[in-house]
Amino acid sequence: MGYKIKKGILYFLLILLAVTCLLPFLLMVVNSTRSGAEISTSFTFIPSHFLKENWEIMTGYFNLFVGMRNSVLVSVPATLLGAYFSALTAYALAMYKFHGNKVIFGAILVFMMIPGQLSLIGFYQLCTKLHLVNSYIPLILPAVASPGTVFFLRQYILSSLPPSLVEAARIDGAPEIYSFHKIVLPIISPAMATMGIMGFIGNWNSYPLPMIILNKNEKFTLPVMMATLRASLDMVRNQGATYLAVTISVIPILLVFCTFSKYIISSISAGAVKE
Amino acid sequence: MKLKKVLAVTLAGLMLTSLAACGSDAGTGSVGTGASGASSTQSAASDSAGSSESVAKAGDKLVVWTLAADLQQFAGRYSEQTGVEVETIVIEPGDYPTKVQTALMGGEKEPDIIVGEPQMLEDFYNNGFFANLDELGAKDYEGQIVDYVWKVGQDAEGIQRAISYQITPAGLYYRRDIAKEVFGTDDPDEIGKKFADYDTILQTAQTLKDAGYRIFASDSEINYFSGDSAWVVNGELNVSDARFEYMDLVVSLYQDDLTAYANQWSTPWFQAMSGDVPILTAAIQNYEDDSVNVWDAATFDEATADLERTTVFAYGLPSWGVLTMRDNVGETSGKWGVCAGPAYGFGGGTYIGISSLSARKELAWDFIKFCTLNEDTADWWIEASQGDTVSLISALNKHKDDENAIYGGEKLYAFWLEQAKGIDYSKVTKYDKVIGDAFGAAIGAIKTGQATKEEAMNTFYDTVESTYPEIKVTR
Repeated sequence: MGYKIKKGILYFLLILLAVTCLLPFLLMVVNSTRSGAEISTSFTFIPSHFLKENWEIMTGYFNLFVGMRNSVLVSVPATLLGAYFSALTAYALAMYKFHGNKVIFGAILVFMMIPGQLSLIGFYQLCTKLHLVNSYIPLILPAVASPGTVFFLRQYILSSLPPSLVEAARIDGAPEIYSFHKIVLPIISPAMATMGIMGFIGNWNSYPLPMIILNKNEKFTLPVMMATLRASLDMVRNQGATYLAVTISVIPILLVFCTFSKYIISSISAGAVKE
Repeated sequence: MKLKKVLAVTLAGLMLTSLAACGSDAGTGSVGTGASGASSTQSAASDSAGSSESVAKAGDKLVVWTLAADLQQFAGRYSEQTGVEVETIVIEPGDYPTKVQTALMGGEKEPDIIVGEPQMLEDFYNNGFFANLDELGAKDYEGQIVDYVWKVGQDAEGIQRAISYQITPAGLYYRRDIAKEVFGTDDPDEIGKKFADYDTILQTAQTLKDAGYRIFASDSEINYFSGDSAWVVNGELNVSDARFEYMDLVVSLYQDDLTAYANQWSTPWFQAMSGDVPILTAAIQNYEDDSVNVWDAATFDEATADLERTTVFAYGLPSWGVLTMRDNVGETSGKWGVCAGPAYGFGGGTYIGISSLSARKELAWDFIKFCTLNEDTADWWIEASQGDTVSLISALNKHKDDENAIYGGEKLYAFWLEQAKGIDYSKVTKYDKVIGDAFGAAIGAIKTGQATKEEAMNTFYDTVESTYPEIKVTR
């Protein structure tokens, strides 16, 4: 009986939490069907009938699919590179004992705390000198060094990758990089998937850097394009269209999440050594 | 053991996902501090632009970085008429200064045309972002543009750096039917006298309250008219008596129950444009009483069912308010009028200039002339924007007899031109936004009784001192 009550309370709280998380989503979807005037004068969860108008306003400003393609071109490579190279770094820091290991790890921790927006002008100048303005390279390449991911993966490797596994591979004569690919990567894949999802969301929603680096409409990523809806001074009218654009732009994130979360769950059973 | 770890990882991921997703729901931003409205009615007017002296020829290219989508329409029309390819990059207004600063300081030569709103201009001038328009011949056009706009476009040395295609003088939008009932007249000149100074406004407010109306929906409606002295004079903070009088006015409007206690841009504020609204209480406005959510119209009607209702008399907005009102007046269309406020004021406006790093200055100057000094363009823009107010004097004169049906057939262009003549731009400084906000916060604290006048003013002085160490503050 007591167990049931406890469970009941727990479920109630969890449902409440889920509802609070999902309501803004629902509101966003509902608002994408309402006109700007309706949004500014009232608040409701009942959809209206301005979806088509909002779509027309939005397409009048930009081509959403071009933005989506551009965002994919930036986010996917940045996420993959970020996850792979962070795993390499984290593995080295966790598994190998060498001089300076602690110093490097300390430095990475310090870099985690420096906000990236600090050196925008310098970064822009660098990009001008390297002729990289208007290119996706300055948006993708820096993802290779993501201290947060390295930190997370290192802790994960320390806690869940038994060194004996790699040692076994070494005894059998496997090269280091081979054992990394065949043994380490599958084991840490849940953590990589988690960081991958976060990295993808971060890259997908990234705004200041693309806004600064990209100077061509046809190269704008989705968030930069969507911001132009706010440049019209008739913002009240554009609110519905903004909601619609945001709603559509969230779809890829959900897709990525669904794909990767399955991956996380499937590797739960992938135990290698009995603890 | 393993399960727990994986679960923790998954949960952390989930949490961050939902956070990020909620974060992306940021479409509602702040509302309307800019100038005009974009519209899709592209009038296919003739192309008899004064292109005889134009340097533009087909095949040329121009890059425009703008924060107002308006310029996209201008650019489209320019391309049509001259064959010049214009690439317009629209950047969100909040990020525009960052973008331009980063790019131009980084030596970017790409943009030919850059723009700015009044509060950005001084920094742009000081950093040398704008090219000298006088060298391109701007002097020849002096007097053709409304004076204050021309002055805003000049840097400290009086060199022309930017020109705007629109004027944004402030006016008071009032209900003609109520004016007739209470004051016996709806004539803009007569009603203007009811707003002549702060004491008169308080009297007017009382008269209206006695008649069952409220003068304003919010207590911030006079804000646009309160800048008749500069905030900073010779590097010293200047809080004139008029500022204190304005403070007293707001406090009285609030404490004597003279407004409908709506916040500007909130649900009841918009609703009051189209008819009667419940009179909220001071506690609701400052969120102490949360029984009514002013941002939530679904529950709003229900929550305020027992409250007394009233009709609001007036709004104080710049000329772009014509468009805001148009979209919200509903059935009260035609019952509105516009009159002068207690002082001259203006809000917003987009100023067009040439990047000092541009390699195509001649062509860029041609584009600026097309946007600002071409009567044909001005005619077209008045129609395309459905009522934006242009800055070209000849165009304003040409349209001075145009009647606006929403405002009872008032001749608004003539009115705005008259208001614009009174604006003294020398009172505007780059500190206005921060100091104005801090002063607003002080007024807010005083009117709600959170702080005494002395405490609030000390906080205000502290804020100014710490934000701008270069300003001398005398308490």
